[in-house]
Amino acid sequence: MATTVPRLGMHGIGKSFGRVPVLTDVDLTVDPGEVVALLGSNGAGKSTLMKILTGLYTRDGGSIRIDGHEVDFKDPAAAVASGVKLLPQEISVMPDMTVAENIFLGDMPMKRKFGVMQVDKDAMRVRSRDLLDQLGFANIVPDMLVKRLSVAEQRIVEIARALAGKASILVMDEPTAALTEQEAKMIFRIIRRLKENKVSVIYISHYLSEVFEISDRIVVLRDGRNAGTFVTAETKRAEVLAAMLGNTVDDLYDVGAPGIAGAEILNVEKLTIPRKLEDIAFSLHQNEILGIFGLVGSGVEVLGRALYGALGPLKTADVRLGGQSYRPMSARDGKLAGIGFVAAERKKEGIIADLSVRENIALPFEERFERGLFMSQAEESQHAIRWIGELGIRTRGPEQKIRTLSGGNQQKVCIARWLVEGVKLLILEEPTRGVDVGARREIYGKLRELANRGYAVLILSSDVEEVAGISDRSLVLDRGRIVGHFQRGAKPAELMAATGNDPAFQAP
Amino acid sequence: MAQSIETHSTGGAREQMIQLFGKPWSGVAMLGIFYLILIAVFSVLSPYFLTLRNMLQIGGNVAYIGLMAAAGTPLIIAGGLDLSVAAIAGLTGVVISMLHGMGFPIWIGVLLAIVVAAAIGVVNGLFTTRLRLNPLIVTLGMMSIISGIALVLTGGLTRPLMVPGFNWVGSGRVIGIPIPFIIMMVTFVGLWVVMTKMRFGRYIYAAGGNAEASRLIGIPLEKTVITLYVISAISGAIAGTILGAMLGAAGPTAAGSQLLTVIAAIILGGTSLNGGRGSVWGTLLAVLILGTLNNGLTLLNVSSFWQDVTRGVVLMLAVSLDQIRTRALGE
Repeated sequence: MATTVPRLGMHGIGKSFGRVPVLTDVDLTVDPGEVVALLGSNGAGKSTLMKILTGLYTRDGGSIRIDGHEVDFKDPAAAVASGVKLLPQEISVMPDMTVAENIFLGDMPMKRKFGVMQVDKDAMRVRSRDLLDQLGFANIVPDMLVKRLSVAEQRIVEIARALAGKASILVMDEPTAALTEQEAKMIFRIIRRLKENKVSVIYISHYLSEVFEISDRIVVLRDGRNAGTFVTAETKRAEVLAAMLGNTVDDLYDVGAPGIAGAEILNVEKLTIPRKLEDIAFSLHQNEILGIFGLVGSGVEVLGRALYGALGPLKTADVRLGGQSYRPMSARDGKLAGIGFVAAERKKEGIIADLSVRENIALPFEERFERGLFMSQAEESQHAIRWIGELGIRTRGPEQKIRTLSGGNQQKVCIARWLVEGVKLLILEEPTRGVDVGARREIYGKLRELANRGYAVLILSSDVEEVAGISDRSLVLDRGRIVGHFQRGAKPAELMAATGNDPAFQAP
Repeated sequence: MAQSIETHSTGGAREQMIQLFGKPWSGVAMLGIFYLILIAVFSVLSPYFLTLRNMLQIGGNVAYIGLMAAAGTPLIIAGGLDLSVAAIAGLTGVVISMLHGMGFPIWIGVLLAIVVAAAIGVVNGLFTTRLRLNPLIVTLGMMSIISGIALVLTGGLTRPLMVPGFNWVGSGRVIGIPIPFIIMMVTFVGLWVVMTKMRFGRYIYAAGGNAEASRLIGIPLEKTVITLYVISAISGAIAGTILGAMLGAAGPTAAGSQLLTVIAAIILGGTSLNGGRGSVWGTLLAVLILGTLNNGLTLLNVSSFWQDVTRGVVLMLAVSLDQIRTRALGE
């Protein structure tokens, strides 16, 4: 251990947003040529730690050393200059530029010709060729436009760009998220080449099988703290899962007893959306909370809005809502059929920031507050005040701008707007994303309460603990298919294992 | 309970500024003060300025511009933009005078112009909503098409439009108040009622505040925006009618040069070009300010070329102020 200086040493890293600690005393070391997998469920602090490493956030405490030298990145450019490069989950290439131009985007080789400085295309081509050969991809031609490449090949171009920039620490965030299994193998091949060249890799993935295939060591975070470090070759998956998720169910979800499921509200069969969802079938009853868990890219981000109608007409699907055939053409149809929908991206798709709490609550069903030709602001207020009270929305009053509320309270407003006569089914995407722990518990409690009042609640989430904790039944989505059915009381680890196709954890 | 109210602000001077600028009426109040200052300055500089006669004169002169700005305000709040409105005003005068020349009664011409304008509004609306094209491009194209047609129809010439009863609409007065001014004020009040008291108004602010959220809430986004394009286009037709009646002539390019004034008034009035925020009263004050500026400078014998410069400067100042205000509000 002490024989070599680690390439990266992060020690005692602390970070909090306001009064909420996000990272507490976190350590992470990576040796030259080592692949370290960084694991943890949503909100464990992985991305915050990586944002500190890559200069996007400043840390509150602790130290970062690269090759033994203390560093302090003020911005991402400083991190890149020190050889730290982040490959974000979304591929960022310039589709209308060539492979070579993309690889040398930051620092194109120049030459003087007829007295004018210009890009040295030949040098760029030759060096790109070398780099791609070195990575083992002789089939990618430097002169090709990047938009003609497959997603996996674009990923490779991105990695080549990082290497051209002399990156010595590569942070890969879910590099295989949009790739097929075959394409994922290409990425692993590259990572092995990188190891040979003594490049250090921090690999973030939810897929345990990938992590066990490619990493040397596994570092697990839980609730913003180190929860275990494992040498991959000597470790069982169960140990890692236990460290990630714990085996105790949080009292976060201990929010009241479930009711007895009533009449069937929603029945979905043969729902297929090409390349996104494959033959989905399930049903949901009154008084029931059904959770659907899936990792990013599993289809969990489209299933809810497809059912609501927000993705337009469903070509292949046999859906019954309240016993009647349901074929939405638009979000409006979903609403009129009695569905309430809370979108994942609260700021972009949920709140209307400049409007008041009252207006945000009343908006979907304004016609109910109309008296003759005119709106009755008094009735809008009355309705808003009622739900501010029942959901415990902390606000100065119905006229406060929703923009100034905290995330949790904004989310409650987004739920409140659907609580009117006639809505039977609530579809919520990522119901507690960006919501602090206290408000999360409240939201779970309110969802339980609403279910007990007779609503059917469908939750789609990439937070495995949330789905396991709050659902009466849960389903697991993986690559567009339902791969697991669980009853209330299933452990997060079981749900997670269902996605990793790990036989040891396969659902009974 | 009251202690646990969660807001982002934490007190201090910045907080006070946010409090001040964050109020919905703060922009309108600032404009009102500016308007009074402007009146005070011109009153000192010119003895002819502060007379009832001159004040009413300003109101009558700006009416057709104010009409277009009034209708453009909810459209911009909803996230749209109509650059074709002044061209529609120009075409309207041409249509009325040509039909009148053919022997049709004047009201047939006015009616036809309004129908044509409504159709143009529908086209603008469909292109921007269904095809999701940038309204700037769509209505710029439409402006070019319409003003081109007006030029083709007239051969570029101004046509006389002297019809006694009709000209009264432009220059007549009721208890001393110019009729165009009355039409404008009725429009402002009507739009204010629609925007703040009716369901349609709720949809206007929602659509411009967050189109995607509005769509997911299931409010009729396209219908709202298309209707606003139609209202804007019809305001162009009425403005063209008033202008033709005032001038006793219809020139194909008569109103075109006022497009910038219309847009300037809306922005100066505090309506955000990003949509979601604004009020018709701000627009009204801005129209009066721009009209007063023109009138005052004319009384002071400043060349009309300088008046263009002044208008540009005022517009840029207003936009800068709006930006500062938006930043102060944070997020």
